Amino acid sequence: MIMSTLELSEIQAYLLHDYKEMGCSKYYLMQVNDNNKVAAKKFIADVANSITHANAEVKDTCLNLGFTSNGLKQLGYSEANMHTFSREFREGMVSPHRQRLLGDYYNSDPIKWQWGGPSNKRVDLILMIFGKNETTADNYFQELKQKFEPGFSVVHILDGKPLPNEREHFGFRDGISQPVIKGSGEPSKGFNNDINPGEFVLGYKNEYDVFPDSPLLVDDKVPGNKNLLADDPSGSSFKDIGRNGTYFVLRQLEQNVDGFWKFLKEKSKDEHGKTSNDEATKIAAKMMGRWPSGSPLVNHPDKDPFPAMDSDFNDFSYIKEDKDGLKCPFGSHIRRMNPRDHFEESTPGVSLTLTRRHRIMRRVRSYGEDFIGSAENHTPNGKVGLLFGCFNANISKQFEFIQYTWANSPKFKRLYSDPDPIIGVREDPEKKRGQIFTIPQETTNRVITDLQRFVTVRGGAYFFFPSVSVIKFLGTI
Amino acid sequence: MIKQHPLIILTPVIADKLKTLELRLEEIRDSSQKSQERGQKTEFEKVSTLHYGRWVILSEKSFRDTPAVPVGIRLSFSTNYDEGEGEGDNKKNHLDNHLHELVTQLTKYIDTIYECCEGYPEPGVRTTESRINFLKKGLIKTTAFFNGAPGRSVKQIHQEEALRKHIWNFINNKKWDKLTTAVQIHNEIREEIDKHSEFEWSEKKAEVQGIKWFNIISYGLLFLLVFPFIIIWAIFLYIFYERWNKKQTLTLSDLNDEKVNELKKVEDLFPQNQFTQVAVLKPGIMRNLNFRIWMLRTRVLANNVFVFGKLLNIPTIHFARWVLFDNNKHVLFFSNFDGNWQQYLGDFIDQSGWGLTGIFSNTVNFPKTRFMVFGGAYDEEHFLAWSRSTQVPTQVWYCPYPQLSIKNINNNTKIRNELRMKNITEEQAKIFLKRF
Repeated sequence: MIMSTLELSEIQAYLLHDYKEMGCSKYYLMQVNDNNKVAAKKFIADVANSITHANAEVKDTCLNLGFTSNGLKQLGYSEANMHTFSREFREGMVSPHRQRLLGDYYNSDPIKWQWGGPSNKRVDLILMIFGKNETTADNYFQELKQKFEPGFSVVHILDGKPLPNEREHFGFRDGISQPVIKGSGEPSKGFNNDINPGEFVLGYKNEYDVFPDSPLLVDDKVPGNKNLLADDPSGSSFKDIGRNGTYFVLRQLEQNVDGFWKFLKEKSKDEHGKTSNDEATKIAAKMMGRWPSGSPLVNHPDKDPFPAMDSDFNDFSYIKEDKDGLKCPFGSHIRRMNPRDHFEESTPGVSLTLTRRHRIMRRVRSYGEDFIGSAENHTPNGKVGLLFGCFNANISKQFEFIQYTWANSPKFKRLYSDPDPIIGVREDPEKKRGQIFTIPQETTNRVITDLQRFVTVRGGAYFFFPSVSVIKFLGTI
Repeated sequence: MIKQHPLIILTPVIADKLKTLELRLEEIRDSSQKSQERGQKTEFEKVSTLHYGRWVILSEKSFRDTPAVPVGIRLSFSTNYDEGEGEGDNKKNHLDNHLHELVTQLTKYIDTIYECCEGYPEPGVRTTESRINFLKKGLIKTTAFFNGAPGRSVKQIHQEEALRKHIWNFINNKKWDKLTTAVQIHNEIREEIDKHSEFEWSEKKAEVQGIKWFNIISYGLLFLLVFPFIIIWAIFLYIFYERWNKKQTLTLSDLNDEKVNELKKVEDLFPQNQFTQVAVLKPGIMRNLNFRIWMLRTRVLANNVFVFGKLLNIPTIHFARWVLFDNNKHVLFFSNFDGNWQQYLGDFIDQSGWGLTGIFSNTVNFPKTRFMVFGGAYDEEHFLAWSRSTQVPTQVWYCPYPQLSIKNINNNTKIRNELRMKNITEEQAKIFLKRF
């Protein structure tokens, strides 16, 4: 066991553990009852003791929670103190500028969201209940409901499960290259995945070797038990609200599995107009950068040697093995999300450093039917999708940067019109944008034209996940 | 090679007309933005040699730090433009021609804007000449200037993009036999292009600037010679100046929301973005001298080394410049870049934190530095906050090719030149084909 340098009993466990062993994950989006804020605060103070922290024994149920900026305001958090939170968190996921950054247009427009948008009920708090199975989770929820009811009401429930066989609905193995927080006690994973804690936990140094911007109690004339709070490590005289806390990004992404595979089959047609499942799978793999099994294209560019065998193989780099993108296209999803050692303008060593400054701790759940799509079988029953979640200490530098600069921007590397084919294509009913996916080849590149978007955002919000002590404190303000 | 030049004009604004001016600039911004979003031409396109145009209102409010001299309200107008063919280095020629084009092609804009400024000719006496003379009065000098695609005129940028698109379509609309070699494909592309008279211009190789080795070696030797003095200078600055600077604690979340939102309102509308910044130099002759030394260094490098589309290894900048003004007490920084703010400033830290620190350490309230190049920009949180808080809203910003990245522009020129390569080898032809 590696010693931990993080204050694990303060950190909410979901940041460090994915709770994959928990069969049921329910996210309750809740609102403070305006007429009973006292009860709301009391619940927060009480529930703090039940939070699953990173040092806690794993039981049949786990509990974590986070606040939106609205939620903190509802509890009476003062304006001056509110202002020390990051701008992204304060503004929330919905703003005109953020719509441009995240690319939420047409059917993904926040105005059409099922939760978190301007036409939905205000979300103040997310209560995350994880259970070994549905029954244990529900029982735990009923128990908590007795306590939160006077203070909170549920506005929306998100019903998630761990990904079936760790594959998302399009059919690809997911979450292979997850970072490890240095000092968390988790064993090192190597391959540039060991990251300084300050990229994910406030109050520790990040990959720039500085403390990330953390919310402080600049106005300490407010009520609340300040003895619960730590000092600001960067040396100001204020109490640090952020320490051992983090920010959580949640987006509900509906996946059009049928559309995705039909599109690929259409693109797989040969000169006689005949579609091919193998070819469709190959194009999909080129777009993803890995085969559905998880096996990376850098190692197996033309064919998956063991399609039936799951692969978490992660020991590869780009400069030595695939400088020209002939194996794994520059525009592919994994090459954008984790550029590893290949930034065009930097040496491999510097590239690795830069990559480490833009990582996220993904926490993904699936919803809808347990369905794993493929070229052969791509029609699930009902709506399916991902509850995409990620933890990061700086939403702008991490989640938003990755989504805009690496996924949505068609100018990634030297490309002209190539967004991330999986998550970055902009919905474009008038087909004015000419979005393409370029597959570099020996002579003429192959181009997949008229990319379409197969992921629709149905809701989203930014949350602050405080430390256990800060949750207690928030119950006393 | 057609050179690109920077122009900057500072004009005092009539205080009573500030509101009117703001509204008029906003109108110009909105209408040209809308046209560009729809893919239509804007008024600015009439000036065919104009790469970038930008109007920025500078008042005391624009300065985060207390100005070193009284500043009043001024309008800054800056452009990057092509000299005419054959104008060569004759500055008077290309400057006069550029001003002439501006006032004759953008008369409506120039009149409505400068009516709000002091000393603009009355309607009765407005002639091309009187307008030019008026603008000339506000001319100031650009201290250091960077061009990401030296020698590429607006016309050439558009032409080469059209060429790339044509070849792209040609390649993708044809079924290529697996056995066709890259050289054969290259040949066929050239034959195709030769069929189209609109690409006749591409027969002539585009001149591109190379690294000026002689200059570099000379400067390098000079640098080695003065290196001991630089060390002494750095120690001197550290002991007598840097040590006494205050530690900066401002973070991004501390900044005024209204101001940040005003900046964000016009960001990320296109793949390209702009950045305008104004800072106050630290008082004293030593700091001023140090700033000028760094400017000199930037100028030398920008002219001799950074000629392939990277400024201090940052691969996303089209044009950038520093302008010392107000009796060398204040400095303006303008940049036109690809991607968004977070990426751009992150690149500065990641790629050239020391270069930026060397320059801006001479401005007040910059994050604390050591020996000119340490600390500063590497203090990520406080550096980003410094950048955002010294940034000034840009009222009007125009670029005729907002959808092209600087990498695209440089790649397009390579496509054109490699298309005309004689006796191209298979390897070279493959590299050529990978550019699409």
